[in-house]
Amino acid sequence: MDSPATRDAAIADAAAAGPATSREVYLDYQSAKPVDPRVVQTMLPFFTERFGNPAALHTVGDRATEALEESRAAVASFIGAQPEEIVFTSGATESNNLALIGYANRNKRTGDHVIISEVEHISLHNIGKHLEKEGFRVTKVPPDQYGRINPQKLRARITDDTILVSVGWASSEIGTVQPILEIAEMLRGTGVALHVDAVAAEGLLPIDMAAVPVDLLTISSNDIYGPPGLGVLYIRKGTRLAAVTMGGGQERGLRSGTENMPAIVGMAAAARIAGEELSADAARLTAMRDRLISAVLSTIPDSHLNGHPVERLPNNAHFRFEGIEGESLLLSMRDEGVWVSTGSACSSKTLAPSHTLISCGLLHEEAHGSLEFTFGRFSQEDDVDRVMEVLPGVVSRLRRMSPLYQKI
Amino acid sequence: MKSTQYSEKTLDHFRNPRNVGSLEGDDVAVGRVGNPVCGDLMEMYVRVKDDRVDEIKFLTFGCGSAVATSSMVTELVIGKTLDEALEVTRADVADALDGLPPVKMHCSNLAADALHDAVKNWRSGTRLKPLGEEEIAAAGGGCGVREVTVVEGATEYAGTGVYTAVDDISVLADARVLVPDKGVESARLALALTEVTPRVIFVTELKALDLPEEVATQVKRSDVKVLFQSRLLAVRGEGEVEKVLIRDLDEDDEYELFVDAVVLLGRQGSQ
Repeated sequence: MDSPATRDAAIADAAAAGPATSREVYLDYQSAKPVDPRVVQTMLPFFTERFGNPAALHTVGDRATEALEESRAAVASFIGAQPEEIVFTSGATESNNLALIGYANRNKRTGDHVIISEVEHISLHNIGKHLEKEGFRVTKVPPDQYGRINPQKLRARITDDTILVSVGWASSEIGTVQPILEIAEMLRGTGVALHVDAVAAEGLLPIDMAAVPVDLLTISSNDIYGPPGLGVLYIRKGTRLAAVTMGGGQERGLRSGTENMPAIVGMAAAARIAGEELSADAARLTAMRDRLISAVLSTIPDSHLNGHPVERLPNNAHFRFEGIEGESLLLSMRDEGVWVSTGSACSSKTLAPSHTLISCGLLHEEAHGSLEFTFGRFSQEDDVDRVMEVLPGVVSRLRRMSPLYQKI
Repeated sequence: MKSTQYSEKTLDHFRNPRNVGSLEGDDVAVGRVGNPVCGDLMEMYVRVKDDRVDEIKFLTFGCGSAVATSSMVTELVIGKTLDEALEVTRADVADALDGLPPVKMHCSNLAADALHDAVKNWRSGTRLKPLGEEEIAAAGGGCGVREVTVVEGATEYAGTGVYTAVDDISVLADARVLVPDKGVESARLALALTEVTPRVIFVTELKALDLPEEVATQVKRSDVKVLFQSRLLAVRGEGEVEKVLIRDLDEDDEYELFVDAVVLLGRQGSQ
């Protein structure tokens, strides 16, 4: 019955289908990134023969100091800053704590009012809550429907007591990029400091502190394919902070604790690579992102793009699908070996839907149906094809059993 | 424990849900629980024969455990008497699935409740039917009363986001616009606004659109988002409209919604 020709064709089909269907596709780069192997190679000697405490006064210590300062210069150069404006921390969360709490405490005699945008990462909202307990007033500024903060809306909230504004460079969730230059220029000369969490944007968009008058900027190592557990707070010269961590006085007393040298050297290597490869990386990711967005919106009925259509991160595609729930989507995609994120409440610790989506004006049930894809350095062009092989089927399967979709 | 760390059995019921669908007929009891706002809505259809569950189907909007518990409960009660069905608890369903993540025990374990609701509706003679499009339209025809309520902040924000008339819709380009239902003119305005902005929300206190058929059909086919059984309570913001407070009349619940503008037309002649 089986002619050799059809059998060969079947074998060829199976071979073609095999790796494609069993391949695992990671499209959640916003949550964690692998460390670039080139970075790992640079780090390895610093665990063994090149160990050393920069505070030690002998030659081993001096070599560590040299590596520390070289790394500081490399990270500074990555964001157009001066080396002395760079403070190493344990990560973006610590940098945000130092920026907001350190600045507010140091400047509380000038005023007690802090403004943060509604679309910030949860860590900033919780730091805001802490500041309120400490007696500061914290005001939130809402975005437009695409997640963008209007500088004029921000200006309207500034009072004589305002000391600090915090707005992220871009949203790690919906990918919307903020008009940071406009916001920074609006604040220039007002005496109000600007903190920017640039974790979502670093490595994807050019960040140049020489060109944009930001006072405090948070970046992390893992977000540019460096080791996790390391971050940086950029502190513009003349900006005064109170320390939040007390100890041996490292990092000019602003961040005590013996330097994590392997991670610092790793972040510096990651920053050099990111600086060199940023434009090529961004162009490649933008093409994949745009292909996925147009495929989803044209193939799947009642699907929408969340975030800004143009002013968005090169690697971010964030959708919502009417009538279905995000965790069910995520679980079904997981079964297909495609790993993504959702803004659905059902997958969060608090069981509350994504605050970012709500502040863009979505209803709770709309926020529940969201799915986030973030590409990265090791994503491949056919990852998009794999998503489109499985996503339309997953959406229609869940819609067939949804009482909501049958009413739409 | 992560909220998505489900047992193999739960995942199996999620991947291959048993008895998905709906049932029709005089011998069918329907139960409905949950609220899409909370991320869960379940409908349980039971065909009753000789006081027993002869056939059972479900429709569910919800997370993995919402789907799995719905599927599990249908397997647990098929063939049982209605009294036995009433004895099936949320804990029984969770046990049958080899447990649920603790955070999901309450929020997404509504399947037993939906089943109980169906049995109670059957016994009380309440014949809850699936809300098809026709039913929604018909339900609206009978209750054409739009309550007139005072919206807090409506005058305070006049000129800064609250409009009582819109002569040139381009002023609302790209804005998130909320249009409370004031009759056919307000619906026509909502439709027109979709030309200039992707986000138009039409909020009505009714269960279904009480509009001329042609306009109602246009609204359904358009990008206008309709909030049924909802009342605009208040307009809020710092110097301009930024949020509204909405009351969900069905769930007796209030929530904030981020918008840029509210168009409060005068009450039109009853339609």
